[in-house]
Amino acid sequence: MIVTFLIRLLWLVALVAAQMMVFNHIHLFGYATPLPYVYLLLLFPLNASRWSVLLWGFTCGLLCDFASITPGLGAASMTLTAFVQPLLLQAMAPKDALEDMQASYHTLGLWGYVRYAALLTLLFTLSYFLLLSFSFFHVADLAIAFASSWGLTFILCLAMERVRGGRQAPKQQSSS
Amino acid sequence: MRALLEFIARYHHWMLFVVLEAFSFMLLFQFNHYQHSLWLTAVTETVSRAHEAEARALRYLTLGQENAALTRRNLILEYNLAEATRQIERLSHDSTGTERLQADRMEGIELIPAKVVTNSVMRRDNLITISAGAADGVRQEMGVVCGTGLVGIVFLTSEHFSIVLPLLNSRSHISCRLRGSDYFGHLVWDGINPLYAQLDDIPRHARFNIGDVVETSGFSSVFPPGIFVGKVEAIGNSDDGLSYKLRVHLATDFTALQDVSVIAQQFQPEVRELEHQADSLMAR
Repeated sequence: MIVTFLIRLLWLVALVAAQMMVFNHIHLFGYATPLPYVYLLLLFPLNASRWSVLLWGFTCGLLCDFASITPGLGAASMTLTAFVQPLLLQAMAPKDALEDMQASYHTLGLWGYVRYAALLTLLFTLSYFLLLSFSFFHVADLAIAFASSWGLTFILCLAMERVRGGRQAPKQQSSS
Repeated sequence: MRALLEFIARYHHWMLFVVLEAFSFMLLFQFNHYQHSLWLTAVTETVSRAHEAEARALRYLTLGQENAALTRRNLILEYNLAEATRQIERLSHDSTGTERLQADRMEGIELIPAKVVTNSVMRRDNLITISAGAADGVRQEMGVVCGTGLVGIVFLTSEHFSIVLPLLNSRSHISCRLRGSDYFGHLVWDGINPLYAQLDDIPRHARFNIGDVVETSGFSSVFPPGIFVGKVEAIGNSDDGLSYKLRVHLATDFTALQDVSVIAQQFQPEVRELEHQADSLMAR
Protein backbone atom coordinates (compact mmCIF):
# COMPACT_ATOMS: atom_id res chain seq x y z
CA MET A 1 0.00 0.00 0.00
CA ILE A 2 2.84 2.32 0.83
CA VAL A 3 4.55 1.30 -2.36
CA THR A 4 1.42 2.16 -4.29
CA PHE A 5 1.24 5.47 -2.52
CA LEU A 6 4.87 6.21 -3.29
CA ILE A 7 4.45 5.22 -6.92
CA ARG A 8 1.47 7.57 -7.23
CA LEU A 9 3.44 10.25 -5.47
CA LEU A 10 6.26 9.79 -7.95
CA TRP A 11 3.78 10.04 -10.82
CA LEU A 12 2.31 13.15 -9.26
CA VAL A 13 5.66 14.86 -8.90
CA ALA A 14 6.75 13.85 -12.35
CA LEU A 15 3.54 14.98 -14.02
CA VAL A 16 3.49 18.30 -12.17
CA ALA A 17 7.13 18.91 -12.94
CA ALA A 18 6.62 18.03 -16.60
CA GLN A 19 3.62 20.31 -16.77
CA MET A 20 5.47 23.13 -15.07
CA MET A 21 8.71 22.87 -16.98
CA VAL A 22 7.64 21.60 -20.37
CA PHE A 23 3.95 21.54 -21.26
CA ASN A 24 3.03 24.94 -19.84
CA HIS A 25 5.39 26.46 -22.39
CA ILE A 26 3.80 24.70 -25.35
CA HIS A 27 1.21 26.74 -27.25
CA LEU A 28 0.94 24.96 -30.54
CA PHE A 29 -0.31 27.38 -33.23
CA GLY A 30 -1.14 29.68 -30.37
CA TYR A 31 -3.98 27.40 -29.23
CA ALA A 32 -2.95 23.92 -28.15
CA THR A 33 -1.57 23.49 -24.64
CA PRO A 34 -1.27 19.89 -23.48
CA LEU A 35 -2.47 19.03 -19.99
CA PRO A 36 -1.23 15.48 -19.52
CA TYR A 37 -1.24 15.54 -15.71
CA VAL A 38 -4.77 14.18 -15.95
CA TYR A 39 -3.00 10.89 -16.67
CA LEU A 40 -2.66 10.48 -12.91
CA LEU A 41 -6.40 9.72 -12.73
CA LEU A 42 -6.10 7.06 -15.41
CA LEU A 43 -3.81 5.12 -13.09
CA PHE A 44 -6.41 4.47 -10.37
CA PRO A 45 -7.75 0.92 -10.24
CA LEU A 46 -11.36 -0.19 -10.06
CA ASN A 47 -11.41 -0.65 -6.30
CA ALA A 48 -9.76 2.65 -5.40
CA SER A 49 -11.72 4.55 -2.78
CA ARG A 50 -13.49 7.51 -4.26
CA TRP A 51 -12.30 9.97 -1.66
CA SER A 52 -8.67 9.05 -2.36
CA VAL A 53 -9.17 9.62 -6.09
CA LEU A 54 -10.74 12.98 -5.29
CA LEU A 55 -7.89 14.00 -3.00
CA TRP A 56 -5.17 12.92 -5.45
CA GLY A 57 -6.86 14.65 -8.34
CA PHE A 58 -7.45 17.83 -6.36
CA THR A 59 -3.84 17.91 -5.10
CA CYS A 60 -2.40 17.33 -8.56
CA GLY A 61 -4.57 20.03 -10.10
CA LEU A 62 -3.77 22.48 -7.32
CA LEU A 63 -0.01 21.96 -7.66
CA CYS A 64 -0.18 22.48 -11.40
CA ASP A 65 -2.28 25.60 -10.80
CA PHE A 66 0.36 27.09 -8.55
CA ALA A 67 2.98 26.23 -11.15
CA SER A 68 1.04 27.94 -13.90
CA ILE A 69 -0.34 30.76 -11.69
CA THR A 70 -3.96 29.85 -12.31
CA PRO A 71 -5.17 28.93 -8.81
CA GLY A 72 -8.28 26.81 -8.71
CA LEU A 73 -8.56 26.20 -12.44
CA GLY A 74 -6.86 22.81 -12.66
CA ALA A 75 -8.00 21.84 -9.16
CA ALA A 76 -11.68 22.27 -10.03
CA SER A 77 -11.31 20.38 -13.33
CA MET A 78 -9.30 17.56 -11.81
CA THR A 79 -11.73 17.21 -8.90
CA LEU A 80 -14.66 16.91 -11.30
CA THR A 81 -12.78 14.37 -13.43
CA ALA A 82 -11.73 12.44 -10.32
CA PHE A 83 -15.35 12.28 -9.23
CA VAL A 84 -16.40 10.77 -12.55
CA GLN A 85 -13.39 8.47 -13.08
CA PRO A 86 -14.54 5.53 -10.89
CA LEU A 87 -17.98 5.57 -12.48
CA LEU A 88 -16.51 5.64 -15.97
CA LEU A 89 -14.04 2.86 -15.28
CA GLN A 90 -16.77 0.76 -13.71
CA ALA A 91 -18.92 1.27 -16.77
CA MET A 92 -16.16 0.38 -19.22
CA ALA A 93 -14.51 -2.49 -17.34
CA PRO A 94 -15.25 -6.07 -18.47
CA LYS A 95 -17.83 -7.96 -16.43
CA ASP A 96 -15.26 -10.49 -15.29
CA ALA A 97 -12.68 -7.88 -14.34
CA LEU A 98 -10.88 -8.23 -11.06
CA GLU A 99 -11.70 -5.84 -8.24
CA ASP A 100 -8.26 -4.28 -8.38
CA MET A 101 -8.18 -4.00 -12.13
CA GLN A 102 -6.24 -1.00 -13.40
CA ALA A 103 -7.10 0.48 -16.74
CA SER A 104 -4.55 -0.39 -19.43
CA TYR A 105 -4.31 -1.61 -22.99
CA HIS A 106 -4.19 -5.15 -21.63
CA THR A 107 -7.13 -5.01 -19.25
CA LEU A 108 -9.56 -2.93 -21.32
CA GLY A 109 -8.21 -3.74 -24.73
CA LEU A 110 -6.78 -1.19 -27.13
CA TRP A 111 -10.04 0.43 -28.14
CA GLY A 112 -11.47 0.11 -24.66
CA TYR A 113 -8.59 2.02 -23.18
CA VAL A 114 -8.61 4.55 -25.98
CA ARG A 115 -12.29 5.23 -25.34
CA TYR A 116 -11.75 5.41 -21.58
CA ALA A 117 -8.80 7.78 -21.91
CA ALA A 118 -10.58 9.81 -24.56
CA LEU A 119 -13.67 10.33 -22.41
CA LEU A 120 -11.73 11.12 -19.24
CA THR A 121 -9.35 13.56 -20.95
CA LEU A 122 -12.30 15.04 -22.82
CA LEU A 123 -14.16 15.73 -19.60
CA PHE A 124 -11.08 17.22 -17.98
CA THR A 125 -10.09 19.43 -20.93
CA LEU A 126 -13.63 20.59 -21.52
CA SER A 127 -14.17 21.63 -17.91
CA TYR A 128 -10.70 23.22 -17.87
CA PHE A 129 -11.32 25.42 -20.89
CA LEU A 130 -14.84 26.29 -19.89
CA LEU A 131 -13.59 27.53 -16.55
CA LEU A 132 -10.70 29.27 -18.27
CA SER A 133 -12.85 31.24 -20.71
CA PHE A 134 -15.90 31.39 -18.45
CA SER A 135 -17.98 32.55 -21.40
CA PHE A 136 -18.89 31.64 -24.98
CA PHE A 137 -18.01 35.07 -26.29
CA HIS A 138 -15.22 33.77 -28.57
CA VAL A 139 -16.74 30.38 -29.13
CA ALA A 140 -14.67 29.59 -32.24
CA ASP A 141 -11.34 30.30 -30.50
CA LEU A 142 -12.55 28.39 -27.49
CA ALA A 143 -13.49 25.37 -29.61
CA ILE A 144 -10.14 25.34 -31.43
CA ALA A 145 -8.15 25.70 -28.19
CA PHE A 146 -10.19 23.00 -26.50
CA ALA A 147 -10.07 20.54 -29.38
CA SER A 148 -6.36 20.94 -30.05
CA SER A 149 -5.44 20.80 -26.36
CA TRP A 150 -7.62 17.79 -25.84
CA GLY A 151 -6.04 16.06 -28.83
CA LEU A 152 -2.54 16.67 -27.54
CA THR A 153 -3.45 15.65 -24.00
CA PHE A 154 -5.12 12.51 -25.23
CA ILE A 155 -2.15 11.50 -27.40
CA LEU A 156 0.30 12.18 -24.58
CA CYS A 157 -1.76 10.08 -22.18
CA LEU A 158 -1.89 7.20 -24.67
CA ALA A 159 1.86 7.53 -25.17
CA MET A 160 2.58 7.52 -21.44
CA GLU A 161 0.33 4.51 -20.99
CA ARG A 162 2.13 2.81 -23.85
CA VAL A 163 5.48 3.42 -22.16
CA ARG A 164 4.19 2.41 -18.70
CA GLY A 165 2.24 -0.57 -20.00
CA GLY A 166 5.18 -1.76 -22.14
CA ARG A 167 7.30 -2.12 -19.05
CA GLN A 168 4.67 -3.94 -16.99
CA ALA A 169 2.78 -5.88 -19.65
CA PRO A 170 1.23 -8.31 -19.75
CA LYS A 171 0.75 -9.04 -16.06
CA GLN A 172 -2.28 -7.88 -14.12
CA GLN A 173 -1.88 -5.01 -11.72
CA SER A 174 -2.62 -5.30 -8.09
CA SER A 175 -2.81 -2.03 -6.32
CA SER A 176 -4.59 0.20 -3.82
CA MET B 1 -27.77 10.91 14.86
CA ARG B 2 -26.84 7.40 13.87
CA ALA B 3 -28.75 7.76 10.64
CA LEU B 4 -26.92 10.98 10.02
CA LEU B 5 -23.57 9.32 10.60
CA GLU B 6 -24.54 6.47 8.31
CA PHE B 7 -25.59 8.96 5.71
CA ILE B 8 -22.28 10.80 5.97
CA ALA B 9 -20.30 7.57 5.84
CA ARG B 10 -22.19 6.43 2.77
CA TYR B 11 -22.00 9.67 0.83
CA HIS B 12 -18.75 11.11 2.19
CA HIS B 13 -17.23 11.29 -1.30
CA TRP B 14 -20.09 13.56 -2.37
CA MET B 15 -19.38 15.91 0.50
CA LEU B 16 -15.68 15.77 -0.18
CA PHE B 17 -16.33 16.52 -3.84
CA VAL B 18 -18.47 19.53 -2.96
CA VAL B 19 -15.91 20.82 -0.47
CA LEU B 20 -13.01 20.46 -2.89
CA GLU B 21 -14.91 22.03 -5.74
CA ALA B 22 -16.02 24.90 -3.52
CA PHE B 23 -12.44 25.46 -2.44
CA SER B 24 -11.23 25.29 -6.03
CA PHE B 25 -13.81 27.82 -7.19
CA MET B 26 -12.95 30.04 -4.29
CA LEU B 27 -9.34 30.02 -5.44
CA LEU B 28 -10.40 30.47 -9.05
CA PHE B 29 -12.51 33.54 -8.40
CA GLN B 30 -10.27 34.96 -5.73
CA PHE B 31 -6.89 34.83 -7.44
CA ASN B 32 -7.65 35.05 -11.16
CA HIS B 33 -8.45 38.57 -12.32
CA TYR B 34 -10.47 37.61 -15.35
CA GLN B 35 -12.62 35.07 -13.55
CA HIS B 36 -12.82 37.40 -10.58
CA SER B 37 -14.21 40.24 -12.70
CA LEU B 38 -16.59 37.88 -14.47
CA TRP B 39 -17.64 36.48 -11.15
CA LEU B 40 -18.23 39.93 -9.75
CA THR B 41 -20.22 40.90 -12.82
CA ALA B 42 -22.30 37.76 -12.63
CA VAL B 43 -22.81 38.10 -8.90
CA THR B 44 -23.72 41.76 -9.20
CA GLU B 45 -26.22 41.06 -11.94
CA THR B 46 -27.66 38.11 -10.07
CA VAL B 47 -27.95 40.08 -6.85
CA SER B 48 -29.51 42.99 -8.74
CA ARG B 49 -32.03 40.70 -10.36
CA ALA B 50 -32.77 39.12 -6.99
CA HIS B 51 -33.29 42.54 -5.45
CA GLU B 52 -35.49 43.53 -8.35
CA ALA B 53 -37.55 40.38 -7.96
CA GLU B 54 -37.75 41.01 -4.23
CA ALA B 55 -38.86 44.59 -4.82
CA ARG B 56 -41.50 43.40 -7.27
CA ALA B 57 -42.72 40.83 -4.80
CA LEU B 58 -42.85 43.42 -2.04
CA ARG B 59 -44.69 45.85 -4.31
CA TYR B 60 -47.15 43.11 -5.16
CA LEU B 61 -47.63 42.26 -1.51
CA THR B 62 -48.22 45.91 -0.62
CA LEU B 63 -50.73 46.46 -3.44
CA GLY B 64 -53.56 46.13 -0.94
CA GLN B 65 -52.22 49.00 1.15
CA GLU B 66 -51.58 51.09 -1.94
CA ASN B 67 -55.09 50.36 -3.14
CA ALA B 68 -56.54 51.45 0.19
CA ALA B 69 -54.44 54.62 0.13
CA LEU B 70 -55.54 55.37 -3.43
CA THR B 71 -59.17 54.77 -2.55
CA ARG B 72 -58.84 57.11 0.43
CA ARG B 73 -57.13 59.69 -1.75
CA ASN B 74 -59.82 59.29 -4.40
CA LEU B 75 -62.55 59.91 -1.84
CA ILE B 76 -60.79 63.08 -0.66
CA LEU B 77 -60.41 64.31 -4.22
CA GLU B 78 -64.03 63.54 -5.04
CA TYR B 79 -65.15 65.41 -1.95
CA ASN B 80 -62.94 68.38 -2.88
CA LEU B 81 -64.30 68.34 -6.42
CA ALA B 82 -67.90 68.35 -5.22
CA GLU B 83 -67.14 71.16 -2.78
CA ALA B 84 -65.39 73.19 -5.49
CA THR B 85 -68.31 72.64 -7.85
CA ARG B 86 -70.72 73.89 -5.18
CA GLN B 87 -68.53 76.93 -4.57
CA ILE B 88 -68.37 77.72 -8.27
CA GLU B 89 -72.14 77.37 -8.63
CA ARG B 90 -72.68 79.60 -5.63
CA LEU B 91 -70.21 82.28 -6.69
CA SER B 92 -70.88 82.38 -10.41
CA HIS B 93 -73.98 84.08 -11.81
CA ASP B 94 -75.99 81.97 -14.15
CA SER B 95 -76.80 84.50 -16.85
CA THR B 96 -78.84 81.99 -18.79
CA GLY B 97 -81.11 81.10 -15.88
CA THR B 98 -83.96 83.26 -17.05
CA GLU B 99 -83.77 81.89 -20.53
CA ARG B 100 -83.76 78.34 -19.24
CA LEU B 101 -86.70 79.12 -16.98
CA GLN B 102 -88.52 80.59 -19.92
CA ALA B 103 -87.78 77.49 -21.95
CA ASP B 104 -89.15 75.31 -19.14
CA ARG B 105 -92.30 77.39 -18.99
CA MET B 106 -92.70 77.01 -22.72
CA GLU B 107 -92.56 73.26 -22.62
CA GLY B 108 -95.51 71.74 -24.47
CA ILE B 109 -96.14 74.98 -26.33
CA GLU B 110 -95.30 75.56 -29.95
CA LEU B 111 -93.08 78.54 -30.60
CA ILE B 112 -93.11 80.20 -34.00
CA PRO B 113 -89.87 82.07 -34.55
CA ALA B 114 -89.90 85.48 -36.19
CA LYS B 115 -87.70 88.48 -36.86
CA VAL B 116 -88.62 92.00 -35.86
CA VAL B 117 -89.14 93.96 -39.07
CA THR B 118 -90.15 97.34 -37.67
CA ASN B 119 -90.23 98.60 -34.13
CA SER B 120 -90.81 101.80 -32.20
CA VAL B 121 -90.57 102.79 -28.56
CA MET B 122 -90.97 106.56 -28.72
CA ARG B 123 -94.67 106.78 -29.36
CA ARG B 124 -97.55 106.44 -26.93
CA ASP B 125 -98.95 103.53 -28.87
CA ASN B 126 -96.08 101.59 -30.31
CA LEU B 127 -96.44 98.65 -32.68
CA ILE B 128 -94.03 95.96 -33.80
CA THR B 129 -94.00 94.21 -37.16
CA ILE B 130 -92.67 90.67 -37.24
CA SER B 131 -91.77 88.41 -40.15
CA ALA B 132 -94.28 85.64 -39.45
CA GLY B 133 -97.88 85.56 -40.57
CA ALA B 134 -100.86 83.35 -41.07
CA ALA B 135 -98.91 81.12 -43.39
CA ASP B 136 -96.61 80.38 -40.48
CA GLY B 137 -99.48 79.61 -38.15
CA VAL B 138 -99.68 82.97 -36.48
CA ARG B 139 -103.17 84.06 -35.42
CA GLN B 140 -104.59 87.10 -33.68
CA GLU B 141 -104.28 87.31 -29.88
CA MET B 142 -101.34 85.01 -29.75
CA GLY B 143 -98.66 85.94 -27.25
CA VAL B 144 -95.23 87.08 -28.31
CA VAL B 145 -92.11 86.63 -26.23
CA CYS B 146 -88.39 87.04 -26.64
CA GLY B 147 -85.39 85.37 -25.02
CA THR B 148 -85.56 87.55 -21.95
CA GLY B 149 -89.30 87.91 -21.36
CA LEU B 150 -92.65 89.21 -22.49
CA VAL B 151 -93.09 91.25 -25.68
CA GLY B 152 -96.80 91.63 -26.47
CA ILE B 153 -99.83 90.20 -28.24
CA VAL B 154 -100.45 89.65 -31.97
CA PHE B 155 -102.85 92.33 -33.14
CA LEU B 156 -103.15 91.77 -36.87
CA THR B 157 -101.88 89.13 -39.24
CA SER B 158 -101.28 89.02 -42.98
CA GLU B 159 -100.06 86.10 -44.99
CA HIS B 160 -96.40 86.54 -44.07
CA PHE B 161 -96.28 89.32 -41.52
CA SER B 162 -97.95 90.23 -38.26
CA ILE B 163 -98.44 93.34 -36.17
CA VAL B 164 -97.77 92.96 -32.48
CA LEU B 165 -99.26 95.12 -29.76
CA PRO B 166 -96.35 95.37 -27.38
CA LEU B 167 -96.29 96.20 -23.72
CA LEU B 168 -95.30 99.69 -24.78
CA ASN B 169 -98.79 100.47 -25.95
CA SER B 170 -101.59 102.17 -24.02
CA ARG B 171 -104.05 99.46 -25.11
CA SER B 172 -101.95 96.70 -23.69
CA HIS B 173 -103.30 95.15 -20.49
CA ILE B 174 -101.66 91.88 -19.56
CA SER B 175 -102.54 89.91 -16.47
CA CYS B 176 -99.43 89.39 -14.31
CA ARG B 177 -98.70 88.20 -10.82
CA LEU B 178 -95.93 88.29 -8.26
CA ARG B 179 -93.92 85.09 -8.32
CA GLY B 180 -94.44 82.98 -5.26
CA SER B 181 -97.83 84.48 -4.44
CA ASP B 182 -101.35 84.47 -5.88
CA TYR B 183 -101.69 88.26 -6.07
CA PHE B 184 -102.17 89.46 -9.62
CA GLY B 185 -102.79 92.70 -11.44
CA HIS B 186 -102.66 94.26 -14.88
CA LEU B 187 -99.50 95.41 -16.50
CA VAL B 188 -99.79 98.72 -18.31
CA TRP B 189 -97.36 101.25 -19.72
CA ASP B 190 -97.42 104.87 -18.77
CA GLY B 191 -96.01 105.98 -22.11
CA ILE B 192 -92.87 107.55 -20.63
CA ASN B 193 -89.97 105.17 -20.16
CA PRO B 194 -89.71 102.04 -22.32
CA LEU B 195 -87.80 100.29 -19.53
CA TYR B 196 -90.60 100.49 -17.00
CA ALA B 197 -94.28 99.57 -16.72
CA GLN B 198 -96.90 99.60 -13.95
CA LEU B 199 -98.57 96.66 -12.35
CA ASP B 200 -101.96 97.91 -11.15
CA ASP B 201 -104.64 96.48 -8.91
CA ILE B 202 -102.41 94.67 -6.42
CA PRO B 203 -104.54 94.37 -3.27
CA ARG B 204 -103.57 96.27 -0.17
CA HIS B 205 -103.20 93.18 1.94
CA ALA B 206 -100.63 91.65 -0.41
CA ARG B 207 -97.14 91.15 0.98
CA PHE B 208 -94.21 91.68 -1.36
CA ASN B 209 -90.86 93.37 -1.56
CA ILE B 210 -88.90 95.44 -3.97
CA GLY B 211 -87.05 93.10 -6.28
CA ASP B 212 -89.81 90.49 -6.39
CA VAL B 213 -90.30 88.88 -9.75
CA VAL B 214 -93.31 89.70 -11.88
CA GLU B 215 -94.52 87.01 -14.27
CA THR B 216 -97.54 86.16 -16.37
CA SER B 217 -100.47 84.83 -14.39
CA GLY B 218 -101.83 82.51 -17.02
CA PHE B 219 -105.37 83.82 -16.52
CA SER B 220 -105.89 84.04 -20.25
CA SER B 221 -105.34 81.87 -23.26
CA VAL B 222 -102.66 84.23 -24.57
CA PHE B 223 -99.73 83.53 -22.25
CA PRO B 224 -98.99 80.47 -20.19
CA PRO B 225 -98.29 81.20 -16.52
CA GLY B 226 -94.77 81.96 -15.27
CA ILE B 227 -93.27 83.88 -18.16
CA PHE B 228 -90.81 86.38 -16.78
CA VAL B 229 -91.87 90.00 -17.15
CA GLY B 230 -89.62 92.00 -14.84
CA LYS B 231 -88.88 92.94 -11.25
CA VAL B 232 -90.57 95.26 -8.80
CA GLU B 233 -88.67 98.54 -8.81
CA ALA B 234 -90.86 100.71 -6.58
CA ILE B 235 -94.14 100.55 -4.67
CA GLY B 236 -96.84 103.15 -4.90
CA ASN B 237 -100.55 103.61 -4.35
CA SER B 238 -103.24 103.58 -7.00
CA ASP B 239 -105.12 106.76 -7.78
CA ASP B 240 -108.12 105.74 -5.69
CA GLY B 241 -105.86 104.48 -2.89
CA LEU B 242 -107.53 101.08 -2.78
CA SER B 243 -104.66 99.10 -4.21
CA TYR B 244 -100.94 99.18 -4.90
CA LYS B 245 -99.35 100.35 -8.09
CA LEU B 246 -95.98 98.73 -8.60
CA ARG B 247 -93.27 100.12 -10.84
CA VAL B 248 -91.84 97.18 -12.77
CA HIS B 249 -88.46 97.14 -14.41
CA LEU B 250 -89.15 95.27 -17.64
CA ALA B 251 -86.90 92.38 -18.53
CA THR B 252 -87.39 92.94 -22.24
CA ASP B 253 -85.26 95.61 -23.84
CA PHE B 254 -87.61 96.86 -26.54
CA THR B 255 -85.01 99.18 -27.94
CA ALA B 256 -82.85 96.27 -29.04
CA LEU B 257 -85.45 93.70 -29.95
CA GLN B 258 -84.38 91.44 -32.80
CA ASP B 259 -85.72 87.91 -32.44
CA VAL B 260 -89.11 86.99 -31.05
CA SER B 261 -91.30 83.91 -30.81
CA VAL B 262 -95.05 83.64 -31.17
CA ILE B 263 -96.72 81.37 -28.65
CA ALA B 264 -99.17 78.93 -30.23
CA GLN B 265 -101.03 77.16 -27.48
CA GLN B 266 -102.84 74.01 -28.41
CA PHE B 267 -106.29 74.89 -27.06
CA GLN B 268 -106.18 78.65 -27.54
CA PRO B 269 -108.77 78.83 -30.42
CA GLU B 270 -111.23 76.77 -28.40
CA VAL B 271 -110.77 78.89 -25.32
CA ARG B 272 -111.05 82.08 -27.34
CA GLU B 273 -114.30 80.90 -28.94
CA LEU B 274 -115.75 80.18 -25.54
CA GLU B 275 -114.71 83.62 -24.33
CA HIS B 276 -116.34 85.27 -27.32
CA GLN B 277 -119.55 83.35 -26.77
CA ALA B 278 -119.53 84.34 -23.14
CA ASP B 279 -119.00 88.01 -24.06
CA SER B 280 -121.88 87.83 -26.54
CA LEU B 281 -124.22 86.34 -23.97
CA MET B 282 -123.25 88.92 -21.39
CA ALA B 283 -123.85 91.73 -23.89
CA ARG B 284 -127.52 90.72 -24.39
